[in-house]
Amino acid sequence: MKRFVLLFLAGILLLILQTTWLSLFPIQRIRPDFLLIFTLYLAFLFPPFLGGILAFFMGYLMDLFSGNTLGLYALSRTIAFFATQFLKERFYLEGFSFQFLFVFAFSILEGGLLLVLVNGLEPASFENLYLSLLAFLLPQSFCTGLAALLLFPLFQKGTSLLLPQPEQGIKAKG
Amino acid sequence: MRIRDFFLSRRYNLFIFITLLLLFALVLMSLRAKQRKGVELFDAFLMEICSPLQKGSTFIIRTVQGTFQKYIFLVNLEKENRRLRQRIAELQEENNRAKEMKLAMDRLKNLLQFRQENSQTVIGAEVIGQDPSSWFKSVTIDKGERDGVKKGMAVISAAGVIGQILKTAPHYATVLLITDYNSAIDSIVQRTRAKAIVEGNGENQCQLKYLLRSEEVAVGDAVVTSGLAGNFPKGLMVGEVKKVDKKGHGVFQYAELVPSVDLTKLEEVFVVMEPIPPPPPPKEEKVKKGKKTKK
Repeated sequence: MKRFVLLFLAGILLLILQTTWLSLFPIQRIRPDFLLIFTLYLAFLFPPFLGGILAFFMGYLMDLFSGNTLGLYALSRTIAFFATQFLKERFYLEGFSFQFLFVFAFSILEGGLLLVLVNGLEPASFENLYLSLLAFLLPQSFCTGLAALLLFPLFQKGTSLLLPQPEQGIKAKG
Repeated sequence: MRIRDFFLSRRYNLFIFITLLLLFALVLMSLRAKQRKGVELFDAFLMEICSPLQKGSTFIIRTVQGTFQKYIFLVNLEKENRRLRQRIAELQEENNRAKEMKLAMDRLKNLLQFRQENSQTVIGAEVIGQDPSSWFKSVTIDKGERDGVKKGMAVISAAGVIGQILKTAPHYATVLLITDYNSAIDSIVQRTRAKAIVEGNGENQCQLKYLLRSEEVAVGDAVVTSGLAGNFPKGLMVGEVKKVDKKGHGVFQYAELVPSVDLTKLEEVFVVMEPIPPPPPPKEEKVKKGKKTKK
């Protein structure tokens, strides 16, 4: 429970950074998505039950504060989490190039998923959204990928300080 | 026995958990799509937790920005001083002319009896956060249900229309900006009175939809609210036509609009509290009808 609350509060903190400090970016449209990076990080290091619920809530928070009326992120972030869980055995989170490519790819995939969902649920609005998605998806994903290089080590540091893993202790002893 | 083991296995539990979580997200989405609302109590609770932090963060940003603007960026002062003195002289002359114009405008205002300006009540609100995603356009304000703010209310500034209330919590609310792809406002072109719907296109621009091809619209034309939708007062500036495209076939022409308000730099806004009643039918028609019946 303590882990859940701490991680949830960390998510809220990232959301606040995203909605206030990141709006100072010169190009407002292109700014990194901290919550997506956090969700992917959770998938690498946390079990599916705790992480899955957290990922759902991270998406829910995004929906709550965004102009998106449908609640798309609660679904897309949960899918992103479990997809990463599925893939995590095949990859190592270490290495800048992998971190960048992984987040970049997921950011693009999420953009595609949003398009599909909006097209299915609100075809009238689809035309407006897909033009902007196509125009900004690549630079936006690139920016999120770059931010991941900074945030992944920070998250790792924060996790080791706030949430010491019992397994790590056993390994150290062994 | 094997089936029982499978059902009790961790892998099976995980599968059920994933399915349930995804189903829950889908149900939530379909509820929102149908009713245009979420789990209101829970939404309001989360918003009440997050928004004070957002407010604090915005306060810090503004204080830091203010410090930089007031003390650190003071370079080339003397040069600027000379330029400003010259500008003051120009402005004084302009001020005299403006006073004359203001007097004339006051007289005209009284004559036209701007009923709506007197009847509508607005409350000021501070923008405390931007949209967390890059694809949608909204802001969070520090006024909510306790201040009388309700879903659908118009949000304006001195320069024109900003958007409308999308979600509310007791002390905070989310405003859907006119540039969001979900936004649509009933409007008219000020010069020609041509009717159209202003829709957001996701960028810091809007487009005029359902504008008849036969209507004359030019670049630079002002577009104002029609007052027909009920929540927006009539005659509020929405933006200026930037591009008109009559190419192609069909009944309608296409036009792009630049909002009159810079929605990327919003700090304070006004929420229109009273719903505006639909305007009465024009008097001219009544006169004509009266004449017809007399005949």
